[in-house]
Parts: sequence; structure tokens; C-alpha cells
Amino acid sequence: MKRFLIYAVKILIVTGLVAIALDGLYTAVFLRSKNRGKIETVFNSEPQQYDVIILGSSRANNHFVSKMFEDKGFKTFNYGMSGGHLFEASLMLKLMIERKYSIKNVVLEADLNLSNDNESEGVSAKFLPYIHNSEVIKDHFSSQENFNELYYIPFYRYIKYDSKIGFRETYKIVTHQTTNALDNLGFYPLKKHKNGNMKNNIVNLNPLPHNKYYEEIKNICKANNINFIAVMTPMCENVTGMNYFEKVKKAYPEIHNYENIVIENKYFSSCGHMTDEGAKMFTARILKDFFKK
Amino acid sequence: MFFNSLAFAVFLPIVFFLYWFVFNKTKSTQNALLIVASYYFYSCWDWRFLFLLVFSTFLDYYTGIQIEKGKSERSRKFWFWLSIIVNLGFLGIFKYYNFFAASFSELLNSIGIQASPILLNVILPVGISFYTFHGLSYVIDIYFKRIKAEYNFIDYSLFVSYFPLLVAGPIERATHLLPEIKVKREFDLEKAKEGIYQIIWGLVKKVVIADTCATYANAIFDNYTAMNSVSLILGAIYFAFQIYGDFSGYSDIALGVSKLFGLDLLRNFNYPYFSRDIAEFWRRWHISLSSWFRDYLYIPLGGSKGGLWMKIRNTFIIFVVSGFWHGANWTYLAWGFINAVYFLPLLLSNSNRNNMGEIQLKFNFDSAKVVLSIFYTFLLTCVAWVFFRARTITDAVLYLKRIFTSKDFSFQYLDNERYSYELLLMIGLFVLVEWNNRNKIEPLSGKKSMLKVALAILAILAFGTYSDYKEFIYFQF
Repeated sequence: MKRFLIYAVKILIVTGLVAIALDGLYTAVFLRSKNRGKIETVFNSEPQQYDVIILGSSRANNHFVSKMFEDKGFKTFNYGMSGGHLFEASLMLKLMIERKYSIKNVVLEADLNLSNDNESEGVSAKFLPYIHNSEVIKDHFSSQENFNELYYIPFYRYIKYDSKIGFRETYKIVTHQTTNALDNLGFYPLKKHKNGNMKNNIVNLNPLPHNKYYEEIKNICKANNINFIAVMTPMCENVTGMNYFEKVKKAYPEIHNYENIVIENKYFSSCGHMTDEGAKMFTARILKDFFKK
Repeated sequence: MFFNSLAFAVFLPIVFFLYWFVFNKTKSTQNALLIVASYYFYSCWDWRFLFLLVFSTFLDYYTGIQIEKGKSERSRKFWFWLSIIVNLGFLGIFKYYNFFAASFSELLNSIGIQASPILLNVILPVGISFYTFHGLSYVIDIYFKRIKAEYNFIDYSLFVSYFPLLVAGPIERATHLLPEIKVKREFDLEKAKEGIYQIIWGLVKKVVIADTCATYANAIFDNYTAMNSVSLILGAIYFAFQIYGDFSGYSDIALGVSKLFGLDLLRNFNYPYFSRDIAEFWRRWHISLSSWFRDYLYIPLGGSKGGLWMKIRNTFIIFVVSGFWHGANWTYLAWGFINAVYFLPLLLSNSNRNNMGEIQLKFNFDSAKVVLSIFYTFLLTCVAWVFFRARTITDAVLYLKRIFTSKDFSFQYLDNERYSYELLLMIGLFVLVEWNNRNKIEPLSGKKSMLKVALAILAILAFGTYSDYKEFIYFQF
């Protein structure tokens, strides 16, 4: 039995060593990743200067046409992340500050995402390779339930989120495969879809009265002298009458309501996402209202 | 509690420690601990079904004794049929009632009689098909005087509910497992090490092969109408490896875990995809179930003795029942039927036992023939697997039809954001490793075993799929 226990301990040690080696290898690869996603690019970047930074979910990513800002002379990048919540938007801004970005304006899409302050695992996982290399990422995740496993167990984060930061992603970084996340200055234009879902029931959705990460973003901007503009972006005709946006306005009066700036379904790819054409109409209005030169 | 879960990684060392260090005084204490552990293991799925398991155990224990004690043939028959009817009754209610009710109602509707079936709102108890078959074989063996009834309830309970085999087999026989349970187990270093190798290799099969193949197979099968010929062929191959990795991986872990407690279980898989014909495939695939049906259904029906029609009838019965055992769906019946069609020519030409020996390859024509026959057999199994995996028989037929009608042979980008060809290298490597170790139970033992274990652990950690597909397919059966 003693020999077996020694043997079992040996296997555990081998497992630990393999996990540590893989963790080191994967992290080293992610520390060199630049052209695959917004998070990796920001983490591995030098200090930047921006007139406008756009944050939020896909409703930011698909709605703010960065080039229209640039055409007006504003150095802009759309850091909206499809599927992301305010948890990730806040961390993205913190990361930029940690990387000594100089930012004049932050435009935050704040509407449906105010209804929760959870992380979006699929997006937040992309920050995890850097958890040992960035204090802000470590602090941001420290309140999460599984922080200890993610932080202290070697390779655990790569296993748990293998579809996002596992072997395939690592391989793609090593082989310099790029994505389109950084094209169009971060803006992702959508086309009109024949079968786009034009029904989005938000009747029972309620904004949190004090969304932790919304407040965090606001405070970071204030502390760093960044002009903070929070906007609600348009949705399709079908949500007219569902008073979610009014509820947001009531809880957060400073958020500008652009729900009805574009409503016709022909400008929507799906109910919550405008087409390229709709995005241009919306961006033009934002530029007119906030960025007159 | 899945074998590939963190909960099991905690549960197993605790039971191991208690078994060898605290409850190791006698066989009774060892067995008592394993029963408590098994019942806890089972209750982690749904504690309510524990009552069903205990009832089934008690029923077969009691009827087994009554059959043995029975003074008249009438009394023996009574207890025998009572056990058979109650066991199959439970299986029928939980597993097959809704299927028959719905099918009967459809039949009536199709001939113009309006009927709406009364369906039961029940969930299938995990492992019911497995532990019911344990009990059935025990009672049948006593009735036919092949074994003596077990009078020690603890020992018998462990035979039925032993946790490594409780939820997905292998389907054990009283003749094999009970004698092991009846004696105190002494720790055997080599056996325990074999157990560790099998557990690790089982995990490779499950999380690296099966779960990864599942993401691709699902993306292809769930959207088969949009898939081209290449993707559909790859989908069938991926599913073949998914179900093999999943089920044989589970069996390897079960056998490995059991070896840690000094108990050998029946081998359930013997590299089935290296079979040279379908008869050999069925001697290597889910061996415990195939042999169960052979001994308790095929042979009592007359087996391959008797006339031509008897042979044909028995072959179809055994394969169709075997398909139906997997689940209450026409697709499983079709899968069983297709395998019967594959098997029958071999039986009728007396060539079903042609390929009994080991496969030896050399650079000559005979070896080329062997390789071709292995590929051909694999092709046949893949076609049958399409029926097993498809939602309906119509889907399966359309899936196969589309392979020939799509006429597009490019590699497609799938819904899971991966290219259809991506897994071929990994599967090729896996096949190569299994081929080179086909004469062993698993590939990790032997020379440089620690290095091979380290590589297997590396594969589990780096190439495993963890985000989805944690369940073992055979748990639903």
C-alpha cells in the first residue's frame, strides 16, 4: 500500500507539473497576442491617446460607426464586445487606464445591460489569461465566487473556459490567425437578415437601481477627467410600448435615451441590433448631439 | 456525480482511504462500506430512485432464495415469473410505456380512430436498464440451477448496486462478481496500478475524444440539411468515435475504479473498430450486453440451431431487442435491425466465427485484405450509427441520402465556429495509439509508463473539452 500511495502521489505531482507547465506556456502565448481580439490587444498595447472610446455590448459594437467619428477628427475606437455585460466594459476601461491610455470621452451603451451586474463568462474569460499579470484584472475578479480556483489552481481557467481560451485559441495565436474584431476600428457592421429575430420581449426586464459596474465606469471617468456619455441605443418597432427604457431613464436620469431615434424594422438586423445603415443614422445623431466641432 | 467530475475526484479517494484503512478488517466491513458509498453515489442523481434500487435488490434477493427453496416446480416457477414480471414491469413503465402509448395512439389515428394517449410524467431512473439486467441474470441463473442463491443480503446488494457499474455497466454476472465479493480483498499493487492506467485512459477517451467529437457531430447532425457530403461523412465518423470514446471510456474508468477496490469487472470493449466483420464487432462492442443477450435470449430461443427460419428469426429478435434496450425510439430499433441485416449473411454462411484470432499484419496481400475488411466493417457501423444518432428514421435516411446527392466535397465551417475537418488528425493519432496497443487492455502500462501517463494527463488537460457534454451517453439508457 505504501508503494501505491507513493505512486499515486507521483501521479499527482506529474499532474501538477503538467498543469503548471501548460499554464506558463498558454499565458506566455496570450501575452504575445495582438490581433485576435479587443481585450488581448489592449492588454498587450503601449499607451494610446483617444478622443472617443466606445464601450458596451454588441449594441455598442454594432451601432457606433467609429469611422464617422474619425471623419470628424476624433480619434476613436469601438471597444463594444458582443455578449459582454457592464462587468467586462468596466474592466476594459480599467485595463486601458492601467495601460496609461489618455482618453477624452467615453461613450457607454447602457440600456439592457443595466438589468444585471453579472459577468458574461464567454467574454470575461478572455481577461483570465492575464489574471497573474494585471492587478486590475485580479481585483476585478476577486469578488467572483470561483476566484480562488481561477487564480490559484494552475491551468484551471484554461480548462474551465476551454472554448474561449483553450488549445484552439492558443494555437490560433501561435499561428498568427487574425479575426475581424479589430476591423473598422472595432465597429462590426450588420446586414439585413431575412430571418432576423424581430421579437424581443423586455416587458419583465428591469434595470438594477444601482448597477455596480455602471457606477464604477462613471467613477473611473470622473477620477480620470474623462467626459462620460451614457446612451440607450435603438431597438426595433416591436418593443414600442414596453417601457423598459422609461424605467432606465427614471433610475438613471443622466443616461440619454436614443431608443426611438431609429425604429423602422428595415434598419434592424435583429430586434436589438441595427444594420449598418441604421448604425450610420444613429451615429450621425450622436455626433450631432455630443461632438459638434 | 459523473466519473469525470470534481465531486467524484473527492469521493473516490475518501472511499478508497476508508476501504483500505478503516473498514479493511473483514469482507463484511468492506462490503458494507461499498454499499453505503454506492447508495450515496446513486442518490447524488436522484435520491428518490434509491427506493426503486433497494426494492429491486430486495425482490431479486428474496425471489432467488424462494426459487432455490421451492419444493415444487410450480412454486419455483411462480417466484421466477414474479421476479421477471416485476423487473420488466418497472423497466416497461419507466422506459417504454410512453413510447408504446404514443405509438399505439398514432397507429389508431392513422386508421381514422381518434385517440390521445395517456402519457406518464416520469423521468427515467439512472441505470435502471443495467441493474435490472443484473437482477434478471441472477434470478434466471438460479432458476436454471447454474448458481446457488445468495443468502447474505449485504453481499447480494453489493453485487447489484456496486457503484462503479451501477449506472452504466458493465452488466455483471453473479457467476463472476459474487465469488469476488464473497472473499476479503487484499490490496494488490499491480492491480491498483492497472486501475489507475485504465482510469486515466478512460478519461482520455471521454474528455479528449468523445466530448470533442460531440461538438462536431452535434453541429453536423443538428444541421444536416445544410451540410455537404464531406461534412456528413465526417459527422458519422465523429459520432462513431464519440459513442466509442464515451461508452468505452466510461467502462475503462469503471473497471479501473473497481480494481482500486480489488474487484475485477467484466471487460466491456476490446477495440471494436479493429473488427474484420460485424460478428467480430459484436464480440468486441459492449461485450457484457451482447453476451447477456446471447446467454439469456438467443440461446434459450434456440440460437443458431434449428432450421433456416429459426436462425433468421432469432438473429432479428436478438438485435432488435438489443436496439430497443438502448431506448424507446424507432431509431434504436432500426439500428438493431440494420445490425441484424449485417450479421445474418455471416451466420447463414457459417462465417460468423471466421475472425476469432488476433490481427497480425505483414506486407502482403492477405494483410491488405484484412485492412480493407476493417475499413469496410467500420463503414458499416458508421451507417448504422447514423440511425442511432438521428432524431428520427426519416432524418437518418435523409442524412444518408444527402451524402450522395449533395455532391459538394469542400470542407465546411460549422455552427460551432470550427471547420469540419479539424478533428481528423486527433482521431488518427488516437487510432494509431489504440492500434499499437490492441493486445493490451490499455496503452499506458508497460515500458516508460510514467512518461505515457504524463502524456495522457497532458492530453486530458490541454485537449479535453470541458465546457459542454459532461454526461455519459449511456446514462440515458
